[in-house]
Amino acid sequence: MINFSDLTFIFRFLPVFLIAFFLTPTRYRKVTLFVGSLLFYAVGDLKMFPVLLGAIIINFLFAKALRGSNNKLLFGFIIVLDALMLIEFKLLGQFVDNSFLPVGISFFTFKMISFQVDNYRADISKEPKFIDVAAYFCMFPQVVSGPIMRYSDFEKNVFFKKNDSELEVIDLDDENADEMLEEKEVDNFADKKNNFAGILEAIEDGLRYFVVGLGMKVLLADHLAMLWKDIGTIGYESVSTPLAWLGAVAYSLELYFDFWGYSLMAAGVGMMIGFPFIVNFDQPYKSKNVGEFYRRWHATLGSWFRDYIYIPMGGSRKGDKRTVLNLLVVWLITGFWHGVTLNFILWGVSIFIIIFCEKYLLKKLPEMTSAVIGRINVLVLIPLTWVIFAISDSTMLADYFMRLFPFFGAGIAVNEGDFAKNLGMYWPVLLSGLLLLVPQIFELFEKYKKKPVFTVLLLILFWACIYSLSNAAGNPFMYFRF
Amino acid sequence: MKIFKNCPLLVGVAAISVILSIISYACQSSAYSEYSETLDFASTPHIALVFKGLSDGVYPWSEPTVGGEELFADGRNEISEMGSLDNDEFSSGEKNDDAESVITVSANGSLDVSGNSVSGNDSFEDTVSGNDSEKVYELTAVDPEYFNDALFIGDSRTVGLSEYCKELDERATFYAKVSLTIFKVLNTPFVKTENNDKITVEQALSENQFAKIYIMLGLNEIGTGTPEYFANAYADVIAKIRELQPDAIIYIQGIMHVTEAKSSTDKYFNNENIDIRNEAIAQLANGQDIFYLDMNESVDDENGNLLAELTFDDVHLKASSYQRWYDYLLGHAIVKQ
Repeated sequence: MINFSDLTFIFRFLPVFLIAFFLTPTRYRKVTLFVGSLLFYAVGDLKMFPVLLGAIIINFLFAKALRGSNNKLLFGFIIVLDALMLIEFKLLGQFVDNSFLPVGISFFTFKMISFQVDNYRADISKEPKFIDVAAYFCMFPQVVSGPIMRYSDFEKNVFFKKNDSELEVIDLDDENADEMLEEKEVDNFADKKNNFAGILEAIEDGLRYFVVGLGMKVLLADHLAMLWKDIGTIGYESVSTPLAWLGAVAYSLELYFDFWGYSLMAAGVGMMIGFPFIVNFDQPYKSKNVGEFYRRWHATLGSWFRDYIYIPMGGSRKGDKRTVLNLLVVWLITGFWHGVTLNFILWGVSIFIIIFCEKYLLKKLPEMTSAVIGRINVLVLIPLTWVIFAISDSTMLADYFMRLFPFFGAGIAVNEGDFAKNLGMYWPVLLSGLLLLVPQIFELFEKYKKKPVFTVLLLILFWACIYSLSNAAGNPFMYFRF
Repeated sequence: MKIFKNCPLLVGVAAISVILSIISYACQSSAYSEYSETLDFASTPHIALVFKGLSDGVYPWSEPTVGGEELFADGRNEISEMGSLDNDEFSSGEKNDDAESVITVSANGSLDVSGNSVSGNDSFEDTVSGNDSEKVYELTAVDPEYFNDALFIGDSRTVGLSEYCKELDERATFYAKVSLTIFKVLNTPFVKTENNDKITVEQALSENQFAKIYIMLGLNEIGTGTPEYFANAYADVIAKIRELQPDAIIYIQGIMHVTEAKSSTDKYFNNENIDIRNEAIAQLANGQDIFYLDMNESVDDENGNLLAELTFDDVHLKASSYQRWYDYLLGHAIVKQ
């Protein structure tokens, strides 16, 4: 159930939660969200449930103590504690047993760190209560795989705001008048939203994104994953070079639609309960270079690194040498964050090298040339970095690259017909995936998503996904056909 | 009406969900009975029934099916009893009987039995020498040309053999298909003809003659029915092939094992189940024109599990590992005369 593309989540948890959430009086809705999220998490990972609970309580206590204080030591201590918790469980999960890695720890720890920093810097205006902090850290739309929403966005929830907000007299001479006026507007907006029709509309809006995300995940990513698995079954040393490249494309698309689809579902569920839409993927493959790619890909992670690591370390303001070092640190941590194995470090380093070259070498070339190379980096080098990301065994990774670039010798027992065979089997998903890389298609959806024709398409898409999920559900043989 | 105008998708999804759920509940013990027996409603909502039915062409107004479909449900019910079936039908007592009969036969003079290169497969030795009035055949090494008039029937593993063992593929014929089972092997149209039509294996076997027919099937259906049921279906297939190909040597290949990682964690696809079924189909060999071959020794570790380094997904051989299977076949064949 911990997965959004799960029938139990779609037909049981989500509807029941939504009804419970909106039946709850406005001021207690955070409690409903908190309790619902705990239930959601406990079903998914009961063993590590106490870790989440403990981390919430400790972070709340520190935040309370740090509020309005300048105690650098205490602040450093909680940041280090959060970071150590993440590192410790990552290492335990990798080297002891996978079940020691609490579900979503990478995401909720990052939310905790960002919250501590924002709280310490007094970027958070009102003092958060325990229920605010707790619901923010573990809210089920984000607890498993993000997006890493900031606390300021949590506060924007329209359904937490009271319907009959008390009248306040705003003194226009007050220096905070603008801010207060703005707040007032948000409140008025909330008033309008927070009635039966407004609630249904919010659910409708969220549902549209949810269905699109579900389609990407179930119909595209899950099927592309089968092609990637088939390539593994053959053995990397035995795939033909064209199939190796097809595999790189397929895996890149799988990862993209899996995560973009997930992010849309998460954002959609968030919208249903009144949060603003969180953009996590913004057409990364239309980027002009890799640097831009990573501002558009998993944007909430990228901006987290920018705001809480890169800029505090000096960003690009302390000279070239320092900038390069900061970049390297950011990409090494990004690699480690994704996984503890060597390939993730290698992946982070290779992204660093590409961005370094773009920043310092590509600029010296004529504009036309650098533009072309930038595009090639995005469309060719990025898929290659995903191959590094995908294969954790270094011998197998080397085998795969030897097949991508067959200059170092032939493969073993290669069947040259494998490319045609797999293309014949998987062309519909590959083609749909490639078409969705064209930014205008998603823009079309965003623009006309309320038109009847899109409503009908989304309805069909939703039931097509349910058809696919139903036939995989409770059937251990579905994905194991030999 | 205003709700419908403002939230058409929500209304559509909710209304259809309610209708389909009602249908699923109402028909769970009629049209969808076979699915509801196997579905765990704690983890899967009822609504899945409608879609499961849809993919098999079963609709709310369909009569509850019998026969082929029922078998599926049966299998799931009985699978939990597999352990006890093991004791009942393939009990160690019976195995001892086999062993004894081998000894008796050996005493009668068929001394080659122990040297039989089938490698310690009791049942095979038993059947090979079970009838001492007939000629005793020994497995011997052959040339690749041996496979010029051979046919291979099987599931994805045999597909892999054809794709990644060029020397064999150039000589032998393959009627192999991913997810093929013993229940459907003869009547599923998948064999391509020259005019690009698809015919069944049964049709293909009435049109083309082969001197050797190798079969490896049984993994896809390992969760279906009992070992006895499986062996009976297997026997029917062998009988039909015998009828269509009176002169062919039929090789029943034991199902290839899975790795330890898979075997120790999977309720169905484990080597215990595979061995039970292999033992059952080994009994179908007669040592005269039907032989049992077990290639597992060429790919197993010392504990009888598929060697992990030969596979990526714990079930299929990697392309580079099919040579082992082929080498085994080259070294273990029956030559008559």
